[in-house]
Amino acid sequence: METTTQPDVAHEDHHESLDDHGHDNQHFLTKYVFSCDHKVIGIQYGVTSLIFLLVGFLLIMAMRWQIAKPGEPLPIMGAVLEHVYAHNNAGEPVFKGGVMSSDAYNQFGAMHGTIMVFLAVVPLGFAAFGNYVVPLQIGAPDMCFPRINMASYWSFFLGCVVMTVSFFIPGGAAQAGWTSYSPLASVIPTDGQSFWLIGMILLITSSLLGAVNFIATIIQLRAPGMTWFRMPFFVWAQFITAFLLLLAFPPLEAAGIMQLMDRVADTSFFLPSGVFDTGSTPMAVSGGGSPLLWQHLFWFLGHPEVYVLILPAIGMVAEILCNNARRPLWGYKVMVAAVFVLGFLSFIVWAHHMYLTGMSAKVATFFQTTTMIISIPSVILLTCLFMTLWKGSIRFNPASMFALAFLPMFGIGGLTGLPLGFSFTDLHLHDSYYVIAHFHYVVAPGTIFAMFAGIYFWFPKMTGRKMNEYWGKVHFWGSLIFMNIIFFPMFLQGFAGLSRRMSDGGATYSLVQNPDITSGALSELIIRLNEYITLGAFGMLLIQVVFIVNFFHSIRNGEKVENDNPMEATTLDWQTPTPPPHGNFTKEPEVHGEPYAYSVPGAEKDYIPQTDPNRPKTA
Amino acid sequence: MEIPYNSTARPDTGLYNGKVGVWLFLASEVMLFGALFSAYVLLRVGAEPGNWSMGLMSKEVGAFNTLILIASSATVVLAWVSLKLKDWNGYRKWKIATVIFASMFLTVKWGYEWPAKFTHYDVTFVDDEAAETVFANVFGQDSYNEECREKHKEIWSARYNIDGKVWDSGSVDTKDKPLDGHIVGYYTENENGDREHHKVGKSFGVYFWSHAFAWRHDKRNDGRTTGAKRDTFREKGVVAVEIEPAHGTWDKHTEKHASVTDRRYAKADDGQATDADGHGAHTITVETSQISRVSSYEPAHSTFFAVYYTLTGLHALHVFGGILVMIYHLMPISRRIYESDPERFTNRIEIIGLFWHFVDLVWIFLFPILYLF
Amino acid sequence: MADEHNAEWYENTFKRMIYWVGGILIAGTAITYVIDKWGVAEKYGLLTAVIFGLTVATIKAATVIVIFMHLKWDWKFKTISLTLISTVLFFIGMMWLTVGSEVKTYESNDGKPGNKDNTWKHGEHAVGINKPGDVEKPEE
Ligand code: HEM
Ligand SMILES: [Cu+2]
Repeated sequence: METTTQPDVAHEDHHESLDDHGHDNQHFLTKYVFSCDHKVIGIQYGVTSLIFLLVGFLLIMAMRWQIAKPGEPLPIMGAVLEHVYAHNNAGEPVFKGGVMSSDAYNQFGAMHGTIMVFLAVVPLGFAAFGNYVVPLQIGAPDMCFPRINMASYWSFFLGCVVMTVSFFIPGGAAQAGWTSYSPLASVIPTDGQSFWLIGMILLITSSLLGAVNFIATIIQLRAPGMTWFRMPFFVWAQFITAFLLLLAFPPLEAAGIMQLMDRVADTSFFLPSGVFDTGSTPMAVSGGGSPLLWQHLFWFLGHPEVYVLILPAIGMVAEILCNNARRPLWGYKVMVAAVFVLGFLSFIVWAHHMYLTGMSAKVATFFQTTTMIISIPSVILLTCLFMTLWKGSIRFNPASMFALAFLPMFGIGGLTGLPLGFSFTDLHLHDSYYVIAHFHYVVAPGTIFAMFAGIYFWFPKMTGRKMNEYWGKVHFWGSLIFMNIIFFPMFLQGFAGLSRRMSDGGATYSLVQNPDITSGALSELIIRLNEYITLGAFGMLLIQVVFIVNFFHSIRNGEKVENDNPMEATTLDWQTPTPPPHGNFTKEPEVHGEPYAYSVPGAEKDYIPQTDPNRPKTA
Repeated sequence: MEIPYNSTARPDTGLYNGKVGVWLFLASEVMLFGALFSAYVLLRVGAEPGNWSMGLMSKEVGAFNTLILIASSATVVLAWVSLKLKDWNGYRKWKIATVIFASMFLTVKWGYEWPAKFTHYDVTFVDDEAAETVFANVFGQDSYNEECREKHKEIWSARYNIDGKVWDSGSVDTKDKPLDGHIVGYYTENENGDREHHKVGKSFGVYFWSHAFAWRHDKRNDGRTTGAKRDTFREKGVVAVEIEPAHGTWDKHTEKHASVTDRRYAKADDGQATDADGHGAHTITVETSQISRVSSYEPAHSTFFAVYYTLTGLHALHVFGGILVMIYHLMPISRRIYESDPERFTNRIEIIGLFWHFVDLVWIFLFPILYLF
Repeated sequence: MADEHNAEWYENTFKRMIYWVGGILIAGTAITYVIDKWGVAEKYGLLTAVIFGLTVATIKAATVIVIFMHLKWDWKFKTISLTLISTVLFFIGMMWLTVGSEVKTYESNDGKPGNKDNTWKHGEHAVGINKPGDVEKPEE
């Protein structure tokens, strides 16, 4: 029991309640595995999602090899995969002779997308950092519903297990892309697709539980004095993100249930009449369904989902930049307003992913308009973050460098999205590598960089030790360079017309392979770029080794922090013991001022913690 | 450490935690069912005329279920009021009533409605000629004459298109206007061409449902080797099926047109009716070769049933979950929780009540859209 | 419900309301059923039947939300109530926008169930899904 007292201690032992009670002598299992403590759960989410981040990356490494050298056996891993990996329905290894077949390519591609989005980035940005940091920043002892929090993690974990297992069942994992479009996804005969759906339903359930918890926590558990506009921006970002998850995920859950019905109960939700699977007879299904319905439901989630990927990242970058530039967040209220607008608008832009479905001009106009409007709040956010740096004396450490690099990278990602938002330009760019480059600039050097920044930044709070700065900087420069080597050429490939999801990297379309083709073919240069990109990806892998070693090394051997607030930060997450104990605060914090009181004129130090009651009037 | 505002309201929001949580949860539920409802709307509006079954549901059963769910909704709020009045016995009484109503609802749904559908079939035909022969037999006519057509039109339009326009437009062929009923028997053939009659006596090994249960056959599966769907006729080598036309449905709209006195053996090639003995009266036998598709009213039957099962199934799961929680709230352990912290327990009852009302609310909309039109 | 009500209020006022609402719900169900049996759809068309049925359902739902779920006394609960309402409005709006403008019903139907394109028609440029090669291509 922590020092905070509460009136009904007497009831504690004989009534079962929604939270656990912080008995210090908990069993190892309840303390570290089936824990209800938001910090432990946050770390569990973090570890799981970092593992899947690596898995997702390794999948794409294998695919990059195949794109660069179509038909050549994978070095080293090929032989292994031939034996451990699934066989297709005809009983042949999917990696026959160590070569990645197109089946394997499709499986890895679909799972790369799924794993990266649902198993790595969302759980890392929203669930891991959110769980760890949000209750601390608002001065709460824990999440509102600690048991539901635990249920959320374990539901997520089960989802991960189902997704992972699907690689090893006969026929292998899902092959219909992370978007799982019907009719393809409804009729693929292997079970991987059904596993994917079941996994998704578990993951969605997890996200919904998490979202309810976050919103309730932020509404109910703010410490005394923590008014809405004294909340750090990160908390706002998480708040809106939670709403997006809460409202956008259920339609996908509904769609998933329907697609599962299509697969196991042979219904035709997404199968039109007269659809063919193979051969020349229509499939023996009732028909009457609509493939477009799937797309609508998927993208109704899908677009808000990209803001789920990016908002926590922006929130973290805001925290880290303010702290390291020693400046208040420029336009805090405007930024809050911007995320609100962003959150709302993100629900009415989804059909910009569907321009090619033959929608009428009227509908296309509507979605083009909303898409252009939604770029305004994004630009506001970015501008405010840039302005925050103005006149700052920036401290350069790995955290701040990753956060700084986030700005231009996210900027490139965002700006290259505009041509995709217009239906006339999208006609050309759709489904090409341009799209891949665009959204990877947002999520890879964008979100992932913010995640790295967050890890370097909060690592001392979590462990009491710092990560090594030198190797952190090496990691930063390496990642920055290789990321751009990987993704920049993809813009060119996309312009040239290289389609995504092609297991031979577009070689069949190239002039080199098909001398008969005289127009519309890919030049040798474009095909060649595949190899450079793959080299870049290998470099990326190597430089991550630096991070991994640094991470594990620093947990035990890193430089110890001198005090509880080594970053000299203002927010409540730094006003706790290090690492924060169960219950977080030694005494209930009281908040007296705004979150970003950096470099306040007249103050004795260049920062004033939110808990400091003696602050100059201006703050 | 204790989470604040678990049982008392936070002054500035005026709410305790659980209530915020449950309303948020309900918001996401609204989106979940909202998506399914819109799927229903889209699929229905986009359906070809003559492809959306209406008038197959028993409105009586639907209305009955609506009433008991409404009753349970009233009792659940009364249970909470009793707790507010510190009346544990009143609480118990109303809560038990709620559980009973809810269980009745599920019994009707899973014990009667669904299984009854799984044993009820639609049969469509390979060509108009085959269909006409069969319908002439069903209606006791010598041929598919004017009278036969009129009867058929009445029945079919009541189910698919109330004002009869689609029938008149001729856009749906006779072969695609299904015959519906129970499958009570089938024939197999040996190498010599001798037929053997089999009765379908039980389903899933139980005699309770004494007709074929969720069989399927589709002509389009012939010759298909990959991606084929389950096909009961193929599995059993069925060459002809014995069908008992659905009197319930048919009688309702047409003063007992469905009474089939002769047992006829319909053969499209010669139109001859053959007597056979065995399974009571009122059955007709149809050659497999004349059938294009046989499906019980299972989810795969049509988009309507796909929607029906998904929506009612998801709803029923909510009911089921609610029942479990409410039973827990009636167990001795809950009594102890109540005594140690009455306010908090009352709050929990309020929360499950809110959930329960939502479940009721979903049904209030499901009833008209699935049962009435 | 906030605690501004005393026991007496629950005992007298609220309980009476519950019975009233129960009555309304039962009456609503009965009316819908009877009217439907009587044959609105046959006599006045399907659309009338739908509008009637859904109106009654909405009234029933509203009483459940306002009294049974006691939102009447929970208007402090603005965020969530507003979210709920705006979700519903939003859904209706979106449905109208995307579907309403795209769906073309089959006035001229010459096809036969079982082998005809059944997806929505997008103006004149219908996406045919009748041939094997025509299956929609996945995209981002
Ligand atoms: C440096 C790391 C990464 C590399 C090198 C990489 C590379 C790629 C490539 C080359 C493709 C295209 C595959 C194809 O179309 O055939 C792809 C697809 C995709 N990636 Fe990544 N990616 C990385 C990180 C991420 C991250 C962090 C995310 C998400 C947050 C992500 C999400 C996706 C998605 C959703 C797809 C589409 C999958 C599909 O076609 O269904 N990727 N990635
Ligand atoms: Cu989008």
